[in-house]
Amino acid sequence: MTPGSRLAAGTPVRVRSGDPRTHCRTPHYLRGKCGIVVRALGDYPNPEELAYHRPGMPALALYQVEFDSAQVWGDRLREAPYRIVADIFEHWLEPAGAAG
Amino acid sequence: MSTHGGHGHGHGQGPGDHGEHDRGEHDHSEHDRGEHNHEHPHAPIDDLAGYRPESLLLEQALRELLIEHGVLTASDIQRQIDQTESRTPVLGAQIVARAWRDDAFRHALLDEAKPALGTAFALDLANTPELTVLENTAQVHHVVCCTLCSCYPRNILGIPPAWYKSREYRSRVVIEPRAVLREFGTDLPPEREIRVVDSTADMRYLVIPLRPAGTEGWDEARLAALVTRDSMIGVAQVLPPA
Amino acid sequence: MTTGAHAVHDLGGDPAGPVDREEHARTLFDQRVDAMLRLLAHPQKGYFTVDAMRRSIESLAPVDYHALGYYERWLRAVRQLAIERGLVSAAELEQRMTQIAQARQASPQNMPGQDRQ
Repeated sequence: MTPGSRLAAGTPVRVRSGDPRTHCRTPHYLRGKCGIVVRALGDYPNPEELAYHRPGMPALALYQVEFDSAQVWGDRLREAPYRIVADIFEHWLEPAGAAG
Repeated sequence: MSTHGGHGHGHGQGPGDHGEHDRGEHDHSEHDRGEHNHEHPHAPIDDLAGYRPESLLLEQALRELLIEHGVLTASDIQRQIDQTESRTPVLGAQIVARAWRDDAFRHALLDEAKPALGTAFALDLANTPELTVLENTAQVHHVVCCTLCSCYPRNILGIPPAWYKSREYRSRVVIEPRAVLREFGTDLPPEREIRVVDSTADMRYLVIPLRPAGTEGWDEARLAALVTRDSMIGVAQVLPPA
Repeated sequence: MTTGAHAVHDLGGDPAGPVDREEHARTLFDQRVDAMLRLLAHPQKGYFTVDAMRRSIESLAPVDYHALGYYERWLRAVRQLAIERGLVSAAELEQRMTQIAQARQASPQNMPGQDRQ
């Protein structure tokens, strides 16, 4: 999402794909997966910058995003469906349906 | 929700479970302590068998040099240890008990946890990570983890248990939560929806477990005695009184 | 796919065995490492951030990440960041470790980690 935009609860999003090979707080198992914004959690300095002794500003919006287990795991899912909730920074999110 | 930019983030936290520098709370620095850890109320165990020899050498060398260079003092270290060890799940249990009894407090807690706790429990949470409280109900069960490291509401629950930081828990709870919960003796009815909460960033999560039947009219202290650490992580339920 | 190679700390969904639920009391070593990290990362001191600490832990070789104890991983990260921030040098740490090891050999009851401040 573009910095400064605000995602409302219920907005469908996709977590960006890719592997930065540097410090980031987006777990690999959610990359490329679609979810729904539960709520905005506020703005925080970018951990990917803080990790290298940089200030991490401007702060980034952090979103609580809910995922369906079947969407996350596909045919690896061994249990009845459940939900996964994770907190994802805005620069890792894109509109669901966009090419990943 | 307001902006939290720049306030405390990335400081005063450990790499995961941390961030609890309650400078607003009194500490025990005025007490005589430090020299005799075996007499200390939070005396650690002295079993060093599990460590690599170079780890023990490195810890001592690093600590000595940081003290000699004026970066830290020995009393800073002891005070920090005391403060960390003083935080236990007792506080979390009191919070849960009050939330069970007091609807207004529970709603405030679920809405914005830190201000609600600051008011009700006189906690200074200014230098601690953000906190969200999740309520388990007859419909939904939350279980909290951190697949990336060991994020944990340490300010409320103390030091996380070893299993919470383990490879096994972190790997599996997001892909087979019911199997993991069963290992903790927690067999949820099939219709109960599970939400696995992966604490991936700046928010910490505390679970209010489902209040067990048979506790109607109980006071806060009696309720708090039922509430376990594991029930506030979400791997267990609070059992009804025997 | 989520099963491909990923960073060593990024465990979600990996195959793993049963959860060992045994409780472990923290040792003095654990407590001291924890305290050093907390003090150095505290905003009052601000020598480094938690994310720097995580970055350092995540850069451990996979074999070390899994073989080392939790606080041993932290200790290595604190060491790296203390050096990065100029609080200590690698050489003086090395030298001090040698001195401590020699003192320990001369007097075996003088175990590292057991010293009293």
